[in-house]
Amino acid sequence: MTIKDRMIRLVILVWFALFSLTIIYPMIWLGLSGLKSNSDFFLNTWSLPKEWLWGNYKAAWDAGIGQFFLNSVLVSTVSVVTVMLLGSMAAFGLSRFRFKGMNVLLIIILCGLMLAPQVGLISLYKMLQVIGLYNTYWALILPYVSFQLPFSIFLMRSYFLSIPRELEESAIIDGCNNWKVYWHIIVPMGKPIIASCALLTGMNVWNEFMFALVFVEDSSLRTIPVGLMNLRSQLNTNFGIQLAGLAISALPMIIVYIIFQRQFVRGLTAGSVKG
Amino acid sequence: MTKTNQNARTAILFILPALLLILSFVFLPIVLNLFYSLYRWNAFEAGRVFVGLEYYIRLFKDPIFYTALKNNFLFAVISLMFQVGGGLIIAAILEDKLIRKFQPFFRTVIFMPSVVSIVVVGLLWQLIYNPEIGLVNGALHAIGQSDWAHSWLGDSKTAIYAVVAVSQWQYTGYMTMLFLIAMQKIPAEYYEAAMMDGASRIKTFFSITVPQIKEMILVGTVVTVIGAFKVFDEVYIMTFGGPGRSTEVLGTMLYRAAFRNDEMGYASTIGTMIFLITLTLSLIQLKLGKSGQEV
Amino acid sequence: MRLKTKVLVVVTLIFGLLITGCTSATGGENSSDKIELKFLHKWPQPQYAPYFEDVVKEFEKQNPNIKINMEAIADEPMKDKLRVVLGGNDVPDIMFSWSGEFAKKFVRAGAALDLTSYLNEDTAWKNSFIPASLQPFSSDGKNYGIPLRFNGKFFVYNKDIFDKYQLKEPKNFDEFLQVLETLKQGGETPIILGNQGPWAAIHYLTGLNQKMVPNDVRLKDYNPRTGEFTDPGYIKAMEMLRDLNKEGYFMENVNASSHDMALQLFFAGKGAIFYVELEEFPDIEKNLKGNWDFFAMPPIKEGKGNQNFITGAPDGFIVSSKTEHPKEAIAFLKFLTSKENAVKLAEQLGWPSPIDGATNPDTALKQVVEGVDMMKEAEGMVEWLDTDVHAKVAGVYLTNIQLLLDGTKSPEEIMKEVQDVAKQVQMD
Repeated sequence: MTIKDRMIRLVILVWFALFSLTIIYPMIWLGLSGLKSNSDFFLNTWSLPKEWLWGNYKAAWDAGIGQFFLNSVLVSTVSVVTVMLLGSMAAFGLSRFRFKGMNVLLIIILCGLMLAPQVGLISLYKMLQVIGLYNTYWALILPYVSFQLPFSIFLMRSYFLSIPRELEESAIIDGCNNWKVYWHIIVPMGKPIIASCALLTGMNVWNEFMFALVFVEDSSLRTIPVGLMNLRSQLNTNFGIQLAGLAISALPMIIVYIIFQRQFVRGLTAGSVKG
Repeated sequence: MTKTNQNARTAILFILPALLLILSFVFLPIVLNLFYSLYRWNAFEAGRVFVGLEYYIRLFKDPIFYTALKNNFLFAVISLMFQVGGGLIIAAILEDKLIRKFQPFFRTVIFMPSVVSIVVVGLLWQLIYNPEIGLVNGALHAIGQSDWAHSWLGDSKTAIYAVVAVSQWQYTGYMTMLFLIAMQKIPAEYYEAAMMDGASRIKTFFSITVPQIKEMILVGTVVTVIGAFKVFDEVYIMTFGGPGRSTEVLGTMLYRAAFRNDEMGYASTIGTMIFLITLTLSLIQLKLGKSGQEV
Repeated sequence: MRLKTKVLVVVTLIFGLLITGCTSATGGENSSDKIELKFLHKWPQPQYAPYFEDVVKEFEKQNPNIKINMEAIADEPMKDKLRVVLGGNDVPDIMFSWSGEFAKKFVRAGAALDLTSYLNEDTAWKNSFIPASLQPFSSDGKNYGIPLRFNGKFFVYNKDIFDKYQLKEPKNFDEFLQVLETLKQGGETPIILGNQGPWAAIHYLTGLNQKMVPNDVRLKDYNPRTGEFTDPGYIKAMEMLRDLNKEGYFMENVNASSHDMALQLFFAGKGAIFYVELEEFPDIEKNLKGNWDFFAMPPIKEGKGNQNFITGAPDGFIVSSKTEHPKEAIAFLKFLTSKENAVKLAEQLGWPSPIDGATNPDTALKQVVEGVDMMKEAEGMVEWLDTDVHAKVAGVYLTNIQLLLDGTKSPEEIMKEVQDVAKQVQMD
């Protein structure tokens, strides 16, 4: 390594370290501020808490974050599982068969990727009321699944296309039908991409705000993002509790991401030359 | 003959559940939305009055519509610069063998904001921007640039940039990750060959990296541009379109019409406009995507 | 085939989980002999919610055949959500509403139940309210809402700072301006204002409009059917507000802080005066410990409106016209506004109650009692501008007030927009 290279590396590392700091510091600050009282927060905004009020976290949890958290878990899990199942089936259908009209179907599904959810906000609100699903978990799950499917199908299809066909051909000779090929060959082979899609879908669903704001009203059904907005009072907010609530809602996704990020990257790069 | 028929039937069986959901919850609402935009109605009153294209005429006369368009456009341009342009450069640097050792760490960190809910990010940045206690002004004071201290979200001239900046902070890592993934598929031999020829880093970046991940750049560009017209949460949470209506985007304009001003018809009209804009952008994408595949 | 069944099992399992999740959330349908009432209020925050939980629990104990399903949505989301909720199939029987135009639009749409007969049936109940608290909830002589709180807006000041400059409570607006000038000269921040949520400055304008514009003209303009907003007093009122900022009497960057953040600055002694609601008094006492007092917006000499009005309004509950159990809903509202619970409201939350005598020196803070007395003695009340005019007019006021303060728009320009929207609203 030349001296010039070392210098470049140093400059770049310093730059990246600073960049990382602007990301990590606010997050740590968020967690710490959740331990403060209002006056401590406003007078010593950027220092450590004078008194570590762990009670704020409990208060935020009891103030409904607990319930919202469970709702988010339920809605996200069901949405992710449904998207993975229906999405991989559709991707299988679109990658392993050739038939008239397939391109049209593909374009329809890919168009779904481009459409802004706002366009459907008003009509979905009306539709859900007419079919009686407004203000139920379904009012979130069905739109979430429908809006998340296109991207997952898109990713899974291109992955499935890269799976060699020899395996299934021999399976078919052995008398496997299409369901078996799908379930015993494609799904296990496609695990990496399914895992990546699951993470992406889960992330989007967990954080979705607009539909959650409009399509449910009972606090027993609210998901975390909307619930957080409700902790804010106009006149006197307890900022410690509010920030504790924010921290509670951010943490699970960060943890899940850190744990699964290897699989996540692997799923999206699999099939590449450099592992 | 019978075999292909059977094949098609099986394929459709596999596709059907997803297709039905997408058709009924993504496409049907768009059609209904067109219908709703022709009526005057509100959420809590029964009955509606046919007004034809009245709301469309009004929309084109509404100065806020142009503010919103301009803001969405700003979102698109700045995001292209930072998320696509910046993301590309960051990814290329992280892939360079000088830095690659540190890649997993930095990759993880810069992607992190995009897994955090926009509600959390928005409320957090509201505090960071606060002129009294916020970190931004605090940092400016600390480095002796007190003149630059500013009421970022409170000034109708800077608020939209402040909101857009948060979006860059949050999503640049996401784009970087997509580019990294694409770059890792580039065969190493290409770089080795270039090195032998004595090509500089910058030259390899333009002659190998960019052409090799062209498709991902295209996807990234389209996702970013269309994403810029889907913006809602950031603005709703940080400014609700204020100060004044300086940060209004099409999404918040729609929401305000529907749920503050009791004009569902007008909101649907705005929805139709968002649809037309994203549709046009999607068509351009499909066209570009095709020519991209041919290469 | 075996695989198909496997998939089927998985699918059924997921959906089964979902359905059980749904039913447990909506409370199930097995308790059909019980009357269920859905009750929607706007205080989900941990410091307020327990009061309502207690009241509901006590009511359910006394009325074992009624079950109350309570819901709460915070202040700001409530402004959008109530409309959404009212359009749903499952409209709450009892729901929060501000008084004035905000409630009247639901009355016009036939969404709110006429409560006049229930009030007249039980005169003891009707008479227990301070009359000025029922009036803003009425339309064409009929009552549509039951007030829970009786809120007023007052200037509170930090006594330490006032004493330092030997200042006294101003008796009129000119004296008020002198007080502000003295404070400014002394290097203090005269007024704290957090206008990120623009309702904060709208509350100033509520009082200024009322004091500058003749009462009958203002009432005509605030009515969506007849609003014109051509009186020069409206422009004058905005100029006065703008000048408070121009002269440097407000803190810097008013549009960048929210009211709740600004409140913390006031607590920290970083400003002398803060314009707050009566319901905030207990919080101020908690932080300033007797070191504060308050005064109403002082009279304006050249103003054409009644100078003895106070800014403030009751807020409370309306009953859905779709309710299947109006009797039970009324019974709950009666219970909620009983003297006993009103006293609890004053004691526990420190809120001013509209029930005559509930807010007294034994139950409430001295200043809260004084505030309620001032409201009782006032010749009238003026309700919040942003809930007292048509939503679209309110929207124009709300969005433009920030631009007025940062100097982007002039009062004339803004009033022109208000007039245009008022015309549009008349035609709708």
